[in-house]
Amino acid sequence: MVRPRLIPCLLLKHGLLVRSQEFRTHQVIGNPINTIMRLSNWSVDELILLDISREDVHDLRRDDLAVADIGATAVEVLRSISRVCFMPLTFGGRIRTVEDMRLRLEAGADKCAINTRALDEPSFVAEASRRFGAQCVVVSIDVKRHLDGRCEVFAEGGRRATGRDPVAWAREVEALGAGEIFLNSIDRDGGARGYKLDLVRAVSDATTIPLIACGGVGKYEHFAPGVREGRASAVAAANIFHFFELSYPMAKKACLEAGLPMRAVKVNSPYFPREPSYSDEQKQRSLWRLEVREVDEEKYSGKGRGKVRWCTSCVYPSISAAPLDFDENGVCTGCQVSGTKHWLTREEWERRTDLLRDLLEKYRCRDGSRYDCVIPVSGGKDSYFQTHVIKNVLGLNPLLVTYNGNNYLDVGWRNVHRMKEVFGVDHVFYSPSVDLLKKLNRLGFVIMGDMNWHAHVGITTLPVRVAAQFKVPLLIWGEHGYLDLSGQFSMDDFPEMSYRDRLEHFARAYEWNYMVGFEGIRSQDMIVYKYPGDQELYDLDLRGLYIGNYVYWEANEHTKMVMETYGFEGNTEPFDRTYRTMSNLDDMHENGLHDYLKYVKFGYGRATDHVCKDIRAGLMTRDEGVALVRKYDHVKPRDMARWSRYVGMSEAEFDRIADTFRDPRVWRREHGQWVKDNIWD
Amino acid sequence: MIAVVDMGIGNLQSVLEAFRRVGAATFVTSSAEEVTRAEAVVLPGVGAFGDGMESLREKGLVEPLRRHAADGRPLFGICLGMQLLAEESEEHGRHAGLGILPGRVVRLAPTSRTCRVPNMGWCDVHPVPRPDGKLFARVPHGEAFYFAHSYHVSGARPEHVAAMIEYDGGTLAAALEHDNIFGIQFHPEKSQDAGLEVVAAFIDAVRTLPVRA
Repeated sequence: MVRPRLIPCLLLKHGLLVRSQEFRTHQVIGNPINTIMRLSNWSVDELILLDISREDVHDLRRDDLAVADIGATAVEVLRSISRVCFMPLTFGGRIRTVEDMRLRLEAGADKCAINTRALDEPSFVAEASRRFGAQCVVVSIDVKRHLDGRCEVFAEGGRRATGRDPVAWAREVEALGAGEIFLNSIDRDGGARGYKLDLVRAVSDATTIPLIACGGVGKYEHFAPGVREGRASAVAAANIFHFFELSYPMAKKACLEAGLPMRAVKVNSPYFPREPSYSDEQKQRSLWRLEVREVDEEKYSGKGRGKVRWCTSCVYPSISAAPLDFDENGVCTGCQVSGTKHWLTREEWERRTDLLRDLLEKYRCRDGSRYDCVIPVSGGKDSYFQTHVIKNVLGLNPLLVTYNGNNYLDVGWRNVHRMKEVFGVDHVFYSPSVDLLKKLNRLGFVIMGDMNWHAHVGITTLPVRVAAQFKVPLLIWGEHGYLDLSGQFSMDDFPEMSYRDRLEHFARAYEWNYMVGFEGIRSQDMIVYKYPGDQELYDLDLRGLYIGNYVYWEANEHTKMVMETYGFEGNTEPFDRTYRTMSNLDDMHENGLHDYLKYVKFGYGRATDHVCKDIRAGLMTRDEGVALVRKYDHVKPRDMARWSRYVGMSEAEFDRIADTFRDPRVWRREHGQWVKDNIWD
Repeated sequence: MIAVVDMGIGNLQSVLEAFRRVGAATFVTSSAEEVTRAEAVVLPGVGAFGDGMESLREKGLVEPLRRHAADGRPLFGICLGMQLLAEESEEHGRHAGLGILPGRVVRLAPTSRTCRVPNMGWCDVHPVPRPDGKLFARVPHGEAFYFAHSYHVSGARPEHVAAMIEYDGGTLAAALEHDNIFGIQFHPEKSQDAGLEVVAAFIDAVRTLPVRA
């Protein structure tokens, strides 16, 4: 007997994975390699990867990552993926010929999914089946339900009606030699309301080949009815697997608990460990920038360079550190999604706060043996607000945890140490050795152009470690930065912290072990940066919520409140690189030199980030925003001097190395000068 | 070194990656001479039986593979590769196989509607208890492996059947093993930890089988 399968389905668009809403809105999740490596840790039954690009052009859009070049065509990307894809793989999208299919099978796909091509020329299914065997041929069927209840098959990613009935079409492809059907519901896509079960059932009953159901899963409990009532051989979903720690094992657990005879949950494969391994050669090679003496004029000649574009609503550029996509009007996903946040009604926010209350009750400690939750705090205004809500509004007993990166401003230092007094809470203030921090500052800068790698990894690791060690199953984070900035999620996704998010976005795929061996750093020196193991996370059901998904988050109002109620101190001195004064008081380089490097790499900085948020909140016009961007984004900040002294690197050496990080998609050389296109041009 | 035969159909990379992960050195070849010299041979493959045999014939590999087997050197057929070890197949007409082990390749023909063709997905594999069995020495009984097939080997000698799966109220041969000849219907390279344990067990067998002159 074959076991029902649970299948993540990933969407690839121009080199990056995206989240999809009704086949129209595509929010960028990130690098496919990081996500697929993570799935490989979990003994996933099977994977479907659909290329929904408009053209065969793939680009990760930034070069400062451990995994930066994965190929420029679908076949090249697939070849990169197949090196880390440790599960059966179906690849679909843009397959037009038998040769297209052969290339994809050769590059690592086990099966190919065919959709539009089959509809345009049904005999192609027969030809493919004869050539590669039925088990290689998956016919993908996208179905839309009309208002009168009639179902119709659509081609070209839901854009073209075909007049075909899904059940009749399924029968036809079976007769032609298809080996499997992948049935997707367009109107359920991204809607989180569950499968369209009558459709699944109708197609399943009409055919004898296996059927994979997809479209509409919003919680783990939605899977089981697909097999039970829909009689599907396999159940698939896309979005849900991106947003939660151990999403696949937890989804499997829910299916098993619902009585489906799936394969058991498995974490910690001995053959596919979670932490990436890096060869000594790769590590040594990453120091090449130390040796560079001259600018690579060829690389920056401007030839073959795409054009940077800017969101037509805010000022975000298309080449950026934060992943985003544009709609047909040139509006970025950040604007599209932040809009939805402001549209939520008071009642909806109340419903969300009730959801949070229920969740917290579930995790509250009943016997006094542990804290109710951990709150990672930097001591900023958001930390104060989180602690205010959790301790004083909702009445929990939190443990505060701080990673001290040794970069505090005086006012930030006073703020963070005031918390234990004004809130009456316990506080773990954790300070790694300064000698280690200096080394990590240098290495982070030279390897990936970010001296604050240690801080990004420390902040996203230490509190989780502390929670695991104290057996506290819940962390309360503030806002997910990418929701607000680049619109990576929908407000209904309720994303939580995950190892994948941490490794990919905070660590840039440089795990702690990358640093071992440099400057005498040993494994035991890096303990603070080691994330708890998967088995530990699974056994504890450790979760990290973002309070911003549940409680209305209005930075200006909250700042006023925490100043008045808790004595939070604002900054009196303006920053060099942004007009705002309240953020990042815990780290002088975060708004300073770290952010200047973002400008060097991508041509924009913190002022752009802040302007985007303020335009979206209706606090300024786009023209006013552009003026601020022009004033601040290029400024070299004064903390250069401190950093130079701190790590022992001259400013000239800093500049020389920083220049090697300039992204050729943004920068070019003209008459020995660095030049880029500007939003005000 | 272990030769992995390239039949020009399907993807070899994941098979090679599986051997790499268990620490075994392999090389890819379609040369009769290299197959003749190889310490052990892996015959992977997806696609149709007729095409697979045609490809072996074109490359002049049929006799070298039979000789390799008769010499007592390890031969490992995976999926289509296992089916090719049999005498003949009824897939799209009638085709002679390598005839290294008795058996015929026939189409899955379930009577129950809950059994679908192709048989696609994870099936629990039940090793047949035997004192000299090698392939499943490292995996627990009932571990699931990944299958993707519409045909299967029928009529194998009972003593050659190394493992079975349940299908349509009966059983099917999921693996064959006879001295130096090994065949598995499932895809070890896609079966994660359990699959790699079977690959590792084959490597163990290569290292411990007595070499006949």
